Amino acid sequence: MSAFPLPREPTSRRSPCIHPAATAIVSLLLAASGLVLLGQGLWIHAKALLAQVLLERAFTATLASGQIVKPWPWADTWPIARLEVPRLGKSAIVLQGSSGQALAFGPGHVERTPDVGERGTAVYSAHRDTHFAFVGDIKIGDEIRMTRSDRATFRYRVIGTSVVRWDQSGIDAGAEGRQLILSTCWPLDAKFSGPLRYLVRAEIANGPNG
Amino acid sequence: MGVPFRQYVTRQSTQTNPLHWAGQPAVVAINLVVMIVFAIAAIFVATQRARADNRAPVALADLRSAKPGEMRSGALLLKDGERFVEAPQLGTDIDLTVSGPTARARISQIFRNITNSWVEAVYVYPLPDGAAIDTLKMVVGDRIIVGDIKERQAAKVAYEEAKARGQKAALMEQERPNIFTNSVANIGPGETVVVQIEYQEPVHQADNEFSLRVPLVVAPRYNPAPVVQTVDFKPDGRGWGTVSDPVPDRERIEPPVLDPRVDAPVNPVAIKINLQAGFPLGEVKSQHHAVKVEEPAQDTRVITLDEKVVPADRDFELTWKPTASTAPSVGLFREHVADSDYLLAFVTPPALVDAERRARPREVVFVIDNSGSMGGTSIEQAKASLLYGLDHLKPADRFNVIRFDNTMDMLFSDTVPADSEHLGQAKRFVSALQANGGTEMVPPMKAALTDRRDADSDYLRQIIFLTDGEIGNEQELFDTIAAMRGRSRLYMVGIGSAPNTFLMTRASEIGRGTFTHIGSVAQVEERMRSLFDKLENPIVTNLTASYSADADVTPAVLPDLYRGEPVVLAAKLGSPDGTLEVKGRIGDRPWNVKLPVASAAVGHGLSKLWARRKITDAEIAKTLGQATQEETDKRVLSLALDHHLVSRLTSLVAIDATPSRPAGAHLSRAELPLNLPAGWDFDKVFGERAPAQAPRHNDRADVNGHVQLAANTKQIAAPAPKISGASVNTYQSGGVPLPKTATDAELRITLGLVLLSLSLILLVVRRLRPQLAK
Repeated sequence: MSAFPLPREPTSRRSPCIHPAATAIVSLLLAASGLVLLGQGLWIHAKALLAQVLLERAFTATLASGQIVKPWPWADTWPIARLEVPRLGKSAIVLQGSSGQALAFGPGHVERTPDVGERGTAVYSAHRDTHFAFVGDIKIGDEIRMTRSDRATFRYRVIGTSVVRWDQSGIDAGAEGRQLILSTCWPLDAKFSGPLRYLVRAEIANGPNG
Repeated sequence: MGVPFRQYVTRQSTQTNPLHWAGQPAVVAINLVVMIVFAIAAIFVATQRARADNRAPVALADLRSAKPGEMRSGALLLKDGERFVEAPQLGTDIDLTVSGPTARARISQIFRNITNSWVEAVYVYPLPDGAAIDTLKMVVGDRIIVGDIKERQAAKVAYEEAKARGQKAALMEQERPNIFTNSVANIGPGETVVVQIEYQEPVHQADNEFSLRVPLVVAPRYNPAPVVQTVDFKPDGRGWGTVSDPVPDRERIEPPVLDPRVDAPVNPVAIKINLQAGFPLGEVKSQHHAVKVEEPAQDTRVITLDEKVVPADRDFELTWKPTASTAPSVGLFREHVADSDYLLAFVTPPALVDAERRARPREVVFVIDNSGSMGGTSIEQAKASLLYGLDHLKPADRFNVIRFDNTMDMLFSDTVPADSEHLGQAKRFVSALQANGGTEMVPPMKAALTDRRDADSDYLRQIIFLTDGEIGNEQELFDTIAAMRGRSRLYMVGIGSAPNTFLMTRASEIGRGTFTHIGSVAQVEERMRSLFDKLENPIVTNLTASYSADADVTPAVLPDLYRGEPVVLAAKLGSPDGTLEVKGRIGDRPWNVKLPVASAAVGHGLSKLWARRKITDAEIAKTLGQATQEETDKRVLSLALDHHLVSRLTSLVAIDATPSRPAGAHLSRAELPLNLPAGWDFDKVFGERAPAQAPRHNDRADVNGHVQLAANTKQIAAPAPKISGASVNTYQSGGVPLPKTATDAELRITLGLVLLSLSLILLVVRRLRPQLAK
């Protein structure tokens, strides 16, 4: 404020109106940023849910036609398989690629790992708070069912879980046998992302369509 | 905000509050302040995280990208958004084979990523302007991926898609006929990717001397700002138009440049030339580099650099001469490709002494570039050359001098007789010139081409244009020359260690003159003398070439020849057993020579040279207004695609089928820095400040050591590369890297709710305030 005292209007027993105005602006700003953040957070979940609906539709079309069907015209990824955990009643459509964009819509097939059902270790990744929120509930012995776009179905049996660093996963994509790994961020309920990943390891229980 | 709030706190605390709903009012207020500070910090953190999310999904990658303070060895840091990225190291290995009239060059660019993150390397580099580039190979490990020619846009799309999928890819695009950009995507941490380019080039021949130039650096160019604007009005007649930029692609040809006083030179180059001249060799000389010459046979030399590698800061130039008795005057070479025969012919006309011709007086306009890029030794070479020119004018001649940077001065308002008074004035003017400022080449070219005496045909009108040609608006200059050339002939004199040869050759071709290059002060005397010999008169005029059967001969219009120059032409022949006839006039006498094609020797890559020259023909026809843009584009595109050549409209792209970058790993783009050409003055070009680059370490001693030129070359030369199939790559250590799999949805929702309740609290407080005031 100025060093020279300003003459006050004698009627103004209520203090200068700067205080209520400032309070109003601050509260409006807070409300606005609160709403934006809330909206962003909800949007992430909404996008994840909505995308799965569209992906389910696209994947059904893929199964019928045998062609790659993009879930929406501008999508840079497409559905490649359906992942189901019958005991938990959960399922998700798995996407080609595990870029940040793909993972917003569904679990992604990690690049340079084989397709599910093929020799080696197929790795799928998804967000711990959306599509893979159920991964924490998976128990050893659970069945994971995978349906590929060529209609081949594979059943896997969960054999173990572990926590690893993202860059020290120890996963050998070309390992003997046929394995499946689901990966998500660890700890499962943390607010911030860290270097650790929670892995669910499964082993093939049968051949195609068995 | 702070001030009124503090007053509020004070005032509240002096009153008793009947409705203290949360303890003491002062405590409430302080809590509020603390919470708001927390909230703002939280918003800040959240937005920061959101940004990090988009840019670097792998959290650890952030920690590993270089910070200026933690550089281990000498390397340049480049800014990539808000992070610093170490530029990949580059080594270049040049392997040239000259066989008779043509040279085949294999350039291996070795990109080594010394960082811990994935990098896209972008390198701008020069090639000879007549080069027909037909091959791009990318070597990844033990696999070689051969590039395909595609339309420029399609190639770019293929490259970008591969880049996004994490596949290794290389893209070679033409920026100018002598400037190219290589982009190499997804070079992994510690990885080395070799990109190999091959081109075919005709050997230059003049004055019984053969030469080859290997440009090694793109000099910084002056790209005029669009001050003199070209306005394109839309045809709808509504009066709205757009302003076009004279250099529409300026950012593509402005790579970072290192200040030689701060940084040791980068981009080491190794050169090896296998010279098979086809005739017994006399003197073989490297003009600007110290070399070792081996002599396995009379007509063969193997030339290597004296020091194993040199920095890429000046052009390499090799000249060779036949032994005195064996100078060939005709060269005829033939190649059968697909269903056609291609021919390359050199014919040196006899040097007749034309005694009875009286020397015609000349009107010479000297134009000298004293822009900042000419600073250092270039301006000294230019001044020495111009003074040589002034000294060799005859009393009957007329002359004028124009100097330019981004401004220009004409010494005399019109050309003046070359008497001692005018010459003295001119010499003082030239001696006082200093290099400074930008390079606006079009206005002085216009001034020089303005012919005030076109009725007086007795004078030979000649323009001697001394410059380094470092401008980006070449086409604007060509258009000016094409429109105004009249009877003037334009002689371009290229100055400095790395002049823009594309500008020089094309300008002198359109201006029907010659291009002389002066690379060092030592060359001034010799090269200027040879230029002035030529200036006396073109010796062979009205040249035409015809073939007894069907043939497509290029250049479409054969240029006049000056002393010592051969006719050089390429042709696509309908049948290989006809006769090529070249006709012209030497002075007043007719001259013709017949060449039976059946006796031609076998040459290599002639079809490519023919196609490359046809592309130049098409571009020149466009500049001269003989073809529309669409016709030209169609012509260039079909030639380039048919003959697998890089051009303005086509690019080579090589894509590795196996993806290598794990999704989620951030890819940084690094534009490789260039050296300043030798003899240039950094401050004159860029002003007295460092370029906008990150701080860097000075110790760069191990740059050369890191790039193992020989080893990599061997790897490339290995025959029958193993192409591994679509097998899944195993990771050497650590296993499959896993993507980041946490959203900040919950964090955002929590923060959002906190902020909303804060604002609610504030509103409640505000409502209550009047009651508190009572």
